[in-house]
Amino acid sequence: MRCSKRLLEELDADIREHIERETQDNIDRGMLPEEARYAAMRKFGNVMRVKEETREVWRFTWLDELWQDLRYGLRMVQKSPAFAAVAVLTLALGIGANTAIFSLIDAVMLRSLPIEKPSQMVVLRWSARKAPRINGYMSSGDCPSNLRFGAANPSGCSFSEPMFREIRNTNQFSGVAAFANAGPLALTGNGPASMISGQLVSGDFFDTLGLKAAAGRVLELSDDSPTASPVAVLNYGYWQSSFSGARDAVGRTIELNGVAFTIVGVVEQRFTGITPGSDYDVWLPLAAGPRISNPRMWDDRQEKVTYWWLTILGRLKAETPMLQAQTAISGMFRNEMLHGPIPLFEAGGGMPGPPRPRGGGGAAARQLVMGGPRPAGPRAVPPPPDGPQGSTVVQGVAPPATGAPGAVRVQSAPVAQGQPLPDAANEPRTLSKPDDEPTILLVNAQTGLTGSRNQFENPLHILMSAVAIILLIACSNVAGLMLARSAARQKEMALRLALGAGRMRILRQLLTESMMLAATGGLLGIVFASWGAHAILSFVSSNQRQPLAFAEGLDVRVLGFTAAVSLFTGILFGLAPAFRSVRVDVTPTLKEGFSASTKVSRAGTRRFSIGNALVVTQVALAIVVLVGAGLLVRTLQNLRSIDVGFDSHNLVIFGINPSLAGYKDAQIDTFYRDMQGRLTETPGVKSASYSMVPLLSGALMATMFNWPGTPQDRQLESDVLEVGPDFFSTMQIPFVAGRGFDFSGYGIAAQARQSLFNGSKQPAVPTPVIVDQAFVAKFLGKENPLGKRFGQSAASQEGPASPGYEIIGVVRDTKYSDLRREISPKMYVPLSALAAAFEVRTAGDPQALVPVIRHTVAQLDPNLPLRDVTTESQQIDRLLFQERLVARLSSFFGLLALTLACIGLYGLLAYEVARRTREIGIRTALGAQRGDVLRLVVKQGLLLALAGAVVGIGASMGVTRYLKAMLYDVRAYDPVTMVVVASLLILVALAASFLPARRATNVDPMVALRYE
Amino acid sequence: MSTKEERERIELLQGTLDLLILRTLLRGPAHGHAIAKTIEFNSDEVLQVEQGSLYPALHRLIKRRWIAVEEGTSENNRRAKFYRLTSKGRKQLKVEISRWDKLAGAIARILRPAE
Repeated sequence: MRCSKRLLEELDADIREHIERETQDNIDRGMLPEEARYAAMRKFGNVMRVKEETREVWRFTWLDELWQDLRYGLRMVQKSPAFAAVAVLTLALGIGANTAIFSLIDAVMLRSLPIEKPSQMVVLRWSARKAPRINGYMSSGDCPSNLRFGAANPSGCSFSEPMFREIRNTNQFSGVAAFANAGPLALTGNGPASMISGQLVSGDFFDTLGLKAAAGRVLELSDDSPTASPVAVLNYGYWQSSFSGARDAVGRTIELNGVAFTIVGVVEQRFTGITPGSDYDVWLPLAAGPRISNPRMWDDRQEKVTYWWLTILGRLKAETPMLQAQTAISGMFRNEMLHGPIPLFEAGGGMPGPPRPRGGGGAAARQLVMGGPRPAGPRAVPPPPDGPQGSTVVQGVAPPATGAPGAVRVQSAPVAQGQPLPDAANEPRTLSKPDDEPTILLVNAQTGLTGSRNQFENPLHILMSAVAIILLIACSNVAGLMLARSAARQKEMALRLALGAGRMRILRQLLTESMMLAATGGLLGIVFASWGAHAILSFVSSNQRQPLAFAEGLDVRVLGFTAAVSLFTGILFGLAPAFRSVRVDVTPTLKEGFSASTKVSRAGTRRFSIGNALVVTQVALAIVVLVGAGLLVRTLQNLRSIDVGFDSHNLVIFGINPSLAGYKDAQIDTFYRDMQGRLTETPGVKSASYSMVPLLSGALMATMFNWPGTPQDRQLESDVLEVGPDFFSTMQIPFVAGRGFDFSGYGIAAQARQSLFNGSKQPAVPTPVIVDQAFVAKFLGKENPLGKRFGQSAASQEGPASPGYEIIGVVRDTKYSDLRREISPKMYVPLSALAAAFEVRTAGDPQALVPVIRHTVAQLDPNLPLRDVTTESQQIDRLLFQERLVARLSSFFGLLALTLACIGLYGLLAYEVARRTREIGIRTALGAQRGDVLRLVVKQGLLLALAGAVVGIGASMGVTRYLKAMLYDVRAYDPVTMVVVASLLILVALAASFLPARRATNVDPMVALRYE
Repeated sequence: MSTKEERERIELLQGTLDLLILRTLLRGPAHGHAIAKTIEFNSDEVLQVEQGSLYPALHRLIKRRWIAVEEGTSENNRRAKFYRLTSKGRKQLKVEISRWDKLAGAIARILRPAE
């Protein structure tokens, strides 16, 4: 009530006026001015109290009127329950969809880290103008790194262990902690052997993070020493699931990769890993690293300044500002890098460029490059089969004789994206300037530790846009309903206005009604949202190798979001009809009711057009969502129908790593042959083979070699896959020319690998390789590939002479790491002494054979755990999970949008028919046929749908390009999708118009004319 | 339009003041000071109203729609707020007066039972 506010505002002036009059009266009575004023004041009393009491008079009005409005609103709802139900349901769907997606965004991106005072925690990030000259680099995958062969301005979050100690010694932080992935862990000593995930952490890790133990104790500094007895702490969830939460689990001994560890405690429940979404089963002290790792892979990294593998966290001191700490740390780092005992960057002068592989040819230069999480991108690259989740393992194998720095090619995930690496010849040679020297940045841990968050960011944003559109549709839908109703209530409003109700008062009452609807919709929406979010999260989780530990459920932020959205919706859909109502011209409206005039009121035409506009908007918005969904569905279809080059059906896949159970070199090869034989004999199995990684698992390896006839330092690149015997027949990859590997081939490969590891003699003959058609096309052209040799290298300071490779066969092209990546040149090499993935071709349902296969392997060695037991089709599904998720959800939202838009259309037409009953009656009485009446209504519906479709397609042309990164083999302007979507919509719109039209034809002219 | 709390307060002294204000306005619109003066004058200055308490009462009456406010100019040509009795207020005045008569009569009977 505005007038009350004005009255109160003017109260001061009123009181002043009053006192002045009284003073004047007193003066007139002969008092002195001073005295007169004093008397007047006294007579008036305490001004403050008067004001207070006056304000008090109005205090409860708002509440009273609100209560009144609510009761009135409830009565209106009771009067038209169908309207209320449709409105609330529509709003609940709109708000619920938004809340569901927002709660996911909240869980994945906004939740604060599960540690004490997360705002004080920073992660250290180095950057420089060129890559450091180091021997090994390992990223935990928690923090985006940009360290690629030849890339300018590299950066990352991994540091050497000596550097970690230096940073701790600077005393800039109140606590410093470091961590790295523990690599694959085979657990024995607690039921059947299994693979678990673990993290190596510095002794003060938990202390720095402020985490306590739920049982026993957390790790301490004294645990983190090479002489301390090996201890482990468990994840709370893992403790519950694998030790049933037993108290006596603390103190028990488990074996990890054959080393006994004592469980000393369980970390408190909230902590599953420092990075959002991460979920480790155990934490081990850093000092345990060498004990559980292959010494070759470990490479003495604890003492090396040239092996960067630790992610470092610091807790800021209250008294040291972040920038001050950063300056100090960065200065120390720079000094150490440039002037330390082994300068890793060289300041000033010409630089020989970033490190590049200069190892001997052949197997010696082979790199393992695994897919890891990419810095940002729409697709998921599942973790490497041999590394822990989310890690990028880049293992350089330097020829042992030299140990020259820079013998490592560091490649990161971008390889998996199919970006060609720059050739060694034209790699950028940056000149070092004082301002491109190495620095360290302190990044708030909340923003710096992205982990697997990146891969969800893009789809979540797309889905958020889709649900935002849904909400708009829902709003305009309900606005349309309200509008129709407000037209019906015009007489009521006019009457109330005539009786002296304030327009603001009526507006408020209408807004209260819409807020009531919105609030109810919001509450119901929360219910829908919690179902939806749960379903989505479990879908996502079931498609990950590792469980995802994103916190589910509603927190204050989500509830706040929902409340804000509901409020916004209430105002949005309530406002337009409300303004219409108060604009009512009293007299004609009231008269119309009594005289039942034949004229269609002018107000009627206007309302008609607002209703039309709303329906066109809804249809257009629905088209946008549908087109987006259509494109994503087509992408999924395209990816699914890709010819992968091998038969992906009836194929069981599992990973195995005999070296974790103590097998060495030749033993591994023998073991594989045994297992291959056993598996092939198993009933239901057609054949079995193995390869370093399975095809289409997201993992990718590449190698570099010199091509004969080009300069020695020029390197070419090809994908590479080590395979076992019968690989091609098992995978059903046909030979185009030549033959498969025979026994001698494996012997040569084994010898080459041996020489790589321990410096023994290189084989005298080249390693036989089989290449694919893409390889032939790129490197050989018309030349006969069979017998072609390449990759030879002469003896140099970096290694002995290598005989290189000889092509013995050519096979058909296949996809390698994932479906989207273009087929690129690929060579197959005989596998020897490595971890492997087995492929088992079954006669029938592969799933049914999994237990049999497990049993077969357990018979051979019960201490050897299988990892990632799956089928090729499941693996492809997992590879496509993001596409499936987005396609599924966006189609759901598309259908929702379509339904809502059609309800809107139906509502409008039904209302129109009801309003024009009289007109239709007259038309019928004058001889209009059923068809004419039918056409009258359907035409309007069709016109509206068409207009909406045109606008919608125009709008989607502008919007779909944002989807481009997610699409595959379909253009953002795909005409087929547009046409299909538009026709679908028009069909549904026809159906929606037909119902009210039918009702119109049933109008009895006699009844219609008596109407009102 | 009035709420329960206010109805309960009706028996208080303010209720009386409300009655007096309504009665005063029966002669025509007046501004705040004039109302206070009129009450004082008509009661032969027996009723010494604390003038400030007039304002909460006026607002209460406005809220109940018994009186309305309009802008006008006072006798000495100054802008002033004039309070005017509404038709609702007129009706209410009748009710209040009869209620007051009953109350006064009843109290009188108790105080002077002999008469």
